[in-house]
Amino acid sequence: AMAGVGGGGNDFQWCFSQVKGAIDEDVAEADIISTVEFNYSGELLATGDKGGRVVIFQREQESKNRPLSRGEYNVYSTFQSHEPEFDYLKSLEIEEKINKIRWLPQQNAAHFLLSTNDKTIKLWKISERDKRAEGYNLKDEDGRLRDPFRITTLRVPVLMPMDLMVEASPRRIFANAHTYHINSISVNSDHETYLSADDLRINLWHLEITDRSFNIVDIKPANMEELTEVITAAECHPHQCNVFVYSSSKGTIRLCDMRAAALCDRHSKFFEEPEDPSSRSFFSEIISSISDVKFSHSGRYMMTRDYLSVKVWDLNMENRPVETYQVHEYLRSKLCSLYENDCIFDKFECCWNGSDSAIMTGSYNNFFRMFDRNTRRDITLEASRENSKPRAMLKPRKVCTGGKRKKDEISVDSLDFNKKILHTAWHPKENVIAVAATNNLYIFQDKIN
Amino acid sequence: MEYKVEAHRIMSISLGKIYNSRVQRGGIKLHKNLLVSLVLRSARQVYLSDYYGGVCLNAQHVEAKEWELMDGDQEKLIPASEESLPSTTACDQTEAAEVPEAPQPEETDSSLAVEGPEDPCEAVEGPEDTSSTEPQAEQESSSSVDSTCDVSVPSPVVSEPQCEAKQATVSSLDCETDANLAMSAEGNSHQPPKAHSCSNRKRSAEKKASHGSPVKRTKVTSSNADEEEAEEMDTSNVSNLITIFGSSFSGLLSKDNSEPEAETDESDSGSGQICCDQMLKNLNPWNTAIVAF
Repeated sequence: AMAGVGGGGNDFQWCFSQVKGAIDEDVAEADIISTVEFNYSGELLATGDKGGRVVIFQREQESKNRPLSRGEYNVYSTFQSHEPEFDYLKSLEIEEKINKIRWLPQQNAAHFLLSTNDKTIKLWKISERDKRAEGYNLKDEDGRLRDPFRITTLRVPVLMPMDLMVEASPRRIFANAHTYHINSISVNSDHETYLSADDLRINLWHLEITDRSFNIVDIKPANMEELTEVITAAECHPHQCNVFVYSSSKGTIRLCDMRAAALCDRHSKFFEEPEDPSSRSFFSEIISSISDVKFSHSGRYMMTRDYLSVKVWDLNMENRPVETYQVHEYLRSKLCSLYENDCIFDKFECCWNGSDSAIMTGSYNNFFRMFDRNTRRDITLEASRENSKPRAMLKPRKVCTGGKRKKDEISVDSLDFNKKILHTAWHPKENVIAVAATNNLYIFQDKIN
Repeated sequence: MEYKVEAHRIMSISLGKIYNSRVQRGGIKLHKNLLVSLVLRSARQVYLSDYYGGVCLNAQHVEAKEWELMDGDQEKLIPASEESLPSTTACDQTEAAEVPEAPQPEETDSSLAVEGPEDPCEAVEGPEDTSSTEPQAEQESSSSVDSTCDVSVPSPVVSEPQCEAKQATVSSLDCETDANLAMSAEGNSHQPPKAHSCSNRKRSAEKKASHGSPVKRTKVTSSNADEEEAEEMDTSNVSNLITIFGSSFSGLLSKDNSEPEAETDESDSGSGQICCDQMLKNLNPWNTAIVAF
């Protein structure tokens, strides 16, 4: 078995670096991580959870003084992004769970990110404060107002250093634009606009304008009885600010060009793979539903994740993907059970590495899978506390699909379906990955790194 | 009748999920409910097709032999049949049929009787005239519905010694059946569980559905027909389920409870009420039920 997945012929070896989160067996629902995202430089790593909180980790600068903490991520900022709300008109509770976080490219000293729950998107500014003004005229050092009649002299306040404080403040709130549940947000390459998608509609926003948005896709049928598919994910093209894609519950992807029309109901390209009739079952539709779509960094390819596989598509070829990777094909015979316990509805995400030579996605039993597109090799790794010694190398895992179980293999029936890895992220430039396992965030690094 | 039990079980599970989704935090998840409704539809199709075929044909089930079954049906439809079998109630027939075989002949449109020809090649031609090619031409009939029905037929089917033609017949019948059902699919697939043959309905369905609006009406009609047929049968299990959930649905759909999606209210409040009334009689508009949430 191969030791690691790498690009360019190098075999990388993934090692444990850090784990964040409680060790407690009893996991509070609010602590379950629901999204993970590196920023553009990889210096910051943001997580959102079901409790509506955002935690941002910052990578330590490597210094000669502390050579062993090679770029460790430590907590930088924590804030409550969304609170539970109640829609009185519809008698609906709106969950505070953070569905997605997307960073904006950095333009000044502050960092900006978009975070969204089912209904509302917020733009947060995260800034550092390491100086404080002292010597005000009208108030004391502790903030109490001074009696103006007692002021006899004027002084100019001076800036004094203080302990670093990281503040997060909501700068924009984009609300009331989605009737259905928001599943995606994506920042456009123009750095001025972004899109948000729910089950039936996609809206285009300007980052500065909160009271209105453009509706660019609307697949709601006139009669809801005719509904046959919903939008499951959407993303802006990384370079062409007029292009975006959205995936559907039927396993199709539509690429749209915003220059063509104001309402992009008619796609420019339609990606669909012909179905394999021999694999029909009650659950064929569910497992073909796409849970995530991601453009490659190059913009030439896109990747889709459905329940059992990951597919890489060339944007120039619509009739089938150029690569298909089986994530956990051994589950195909278990679909009925997975339907019963709702696991079949799990929405796995997928991600590219910085050079687009490898892709990663999660599975069950805290396993995650990596595929090297060049060598076509794949590896299964596990995020677990047992493998959490510093810089311990991760051992490849294998699921036994039948027949005699070898040592170190795990049988399909022994898999823990409550331990699912839905969210993973790959550092944009280096071989550092973040893997969310329920309420824990694991960070792994390549040994060579 | 494993498949029937399985289909029924999946239906119950699906109904349970739809019911539970009402009380879940965060409101109804449209995506999940849509997927569940698709599974429910498929399971229902399989579940009812069994009864349906039985009622329609009113043929006796002798042993769990598919061809004998088909023979009996044949007798009813084509007077000049070669063999006669005693008549029986549809219930009995469905109860005793072997799992993988029974639904195949029964998954037919009401206008097409299931043929269990003594001489498959001859008899099948009758009903198949309407829309298919000759039974021997397995490839052709398969292609007529854009499927690969012949793929899985050989394995589970037919207890009698098999001839190529018989297999072809079954598969072509199934394909034909599927095509008819596919006509009414509205873009959704009505496929049997994996154990059964003739599985590529989805593409057929989509292609046919794209041909125009009548698709939807056809579906309603045939489904209603299904329902009416089913009502004569012992569908107590299914009816009970519907009753249980029907009362809940009616409560949900009443004006007193605000419906979660205001936009669906506009178009569906009326149909929602109707849906509620029809719920016990007609499993059909699950979409409406789901939507009306």
